[in-house]
Amino acid sequence: MRIVTPISAAAEIAPLAEAGADEFYCGIVPPDWTARFRSSGVNRRLFGNFATYAELEEATATAHDKGCSLSLVLNAPHYAAEQAEAAIELAYRFAAFGGDGLIVGDIGLLAQLAERGPGLRLHASSLLSCRNSEAAALYGEIGAHRVIFPRDITPAEMARVIVANPATEFEAFILNDGCVFEEGSCHTIHLPGRLGGPICLDGYQSAHARVDDQPLSPTETDALAANDEAHRRWLWYRFSCGFATTEDGLPFGPCGLCALPTLAAHGVTAVKIAGREGNTARKVKSVEMVRAVRDRIAAGETPAAITEHARGLRRRPDLCDSDYMCYYPEV
Amino acid sequence: MTVLALAITDASGLDRLAAPPEFAGITAGRLHFGGEFCETLLPTAAGLKRALAAAETFGLAFTLATPIVSDAGLARLDRLLPLLPPGTEVTANDWGFLRRLRDHFPDLVPTAGRLLCKQVKDPRLPSAEWTRLQPHGIHAPGFTAMLARLGCRRIEMDVAPFATEADFHSPSMAVSVHAPFGFTTKGRSCRIGSLALPTSGKFAIGHDCRKECLRFQSAATRPDAATADLATVQRGNTLFYRHATEMAATLRAAAAAGAVERVILAGDWP
Repeated sequence: MRIVTPISAAAEIAPLAEAGADEFYCGIVPPDWTARFRSSGVNRRLFGNFATYAELEEATATAHDKGCSLSLVLNAPHYAAEQAEAAIELAYRFAAFGGDGLIVGDIGLLAQLAERGPGLRLHASSLLSCRNSEAAALYGEIGAHRVIFPRDITPAEMARVIVANPATEFEAFILNDGCVFEEGSCHTIHLPGRLGGPICLDGYQSAHARVDDQPLSPTETDALAANDEAHRRWLWYRFSCGFATTEDGLPFGPCGLCALPTLAAHGVTAVKIAGREGNTARKVKSVEMVRAVRDRIAAGETPAAITEHARGLRRRPDLCDSDYMCYYPEV
Repeated sequence: MTVLALAITDASGLDRLAAPPEFAGITAGRLHFGGEFCETLLPTAAGLKRALAAAETFGLAFTLATPIVSDAGLARLDRLLPLLPPGTEVTANDWGFLRRLRDHFPDLVPTAGRLLCKQVKDPRLPSAEWTRLQPHGIHAPGFTAMLARLGCRRIEMDVAPFATEADFHSPSMAVSVHAPFGFTTKGRSCRIGSLALPTSGKFAIGHDCRKECLRFQSAATRPDAATADLATVQRGNTLFYRHATEMAATLRAAAAAGAVERVILAGDWP
């Protein structure tokens, strides 16, 4: 099972490869795109991108030197006609650097890249919300070599999709960055902090009401308040336990390490560490954690032993026990 | 000429057909039945039959609206779709379900739902400049070619904040537009659907709920906001915004210009 790791600088590749990364992914907001469209919307993230083609070329060469591959994200939720053409041009430039794959979030662009792109591997982004076998089959029919599952899918659901699509590779989230909503159905912008930031982190207050216009009963009021309090706690976990780490730098937050044996058994090809914008130390520690668990699978340890090891990595079993820090709590 | 449709998510809302609303002097001529946002709200066979009968009683054309689905949801749809008369329109919000319709139910008429027709719809945007960050590609050749490949000749859209009349002009598709609410974002995890669950199981995906979304909704406000937001409401797993006056005017203008063939008016759901 391959470990897919984010980078935002070529210098991150060596330590991450040393830690156990097999594949890298990155984004770029090149100056000619910004000049042409007066926008930095090349991909899903406004930050954590390369700013020059030279950096992208250097990263490609460095990844190959380390025996790893590099994919470029073209995973904006949607591209207008002009932007799609520019994205295809960008794909050709990346191919000329020796790039390996493209991660694509717009189904129209995915099809266009398959038809008249540079022939790089195509990965259907989690933004394409593949929750069933037919969706995976469609992406494969279009030309995707790999489908990246969204965060909100169970391992059992993955298994059905994988069995039905044996010619396709599948990738699943394993660590970091928990969206509250479904990425593929989120039509918001991660605004600057002064405007509220990501909508799921924004300070919304909820005023509950019955849709039949009857007043809430005291029982309903209490239940809704308790549910809201639990939701606030869940959000804290979802956002990496206050964006915290252990004393030795292991990140808290959305985690599927316990599920790794299950994902491997289901035939998941690769696991994805999220967070291009994170710092290098966080990425290195993330890779180390995934590798530690993967090595135990390779060594033939029992799933129970692997789970115990995974739960012990951060030395905070209380956080694991909450079930709120898990990508795949059903495992 | 613009046609008016009434959207009813759950069979319990079908009594609203007795007094259908009007929009710009037009009475509803079509029923959009079913939930777009949650697999749990897929209708039962009995509920779907009731909706079909109600549409017939009131002389309405019929559309079945569907959400993103797992394979289990696809299996449920496989059992429901044979209940639909040939030629019935089915709104798909899942690419896989569109493929299933194309390959296994060619007698039905597929429409691409608003979850597939992506555009920036953040109710907090302070200006139209922000929509330029990621302009939508709903009418882009790559996207429309994909829809055509899947047999779609109609798309459903929302009125995005700062939408212009041009946003609704499709070169190849009939355009339906939802009003007076647009959806901003949706989760699979559901806050209100976790109301009756034990604490440790709340907000996980794939669990059964008591369909609390049919009983409650929540006004969502940002007291410390630096901008004037569109009125925002959470229903079930989805955040909606209500059209501002100028957005409604844009929709009316697009309809008058012939760009919007159908307006889908919210019935029992935002």
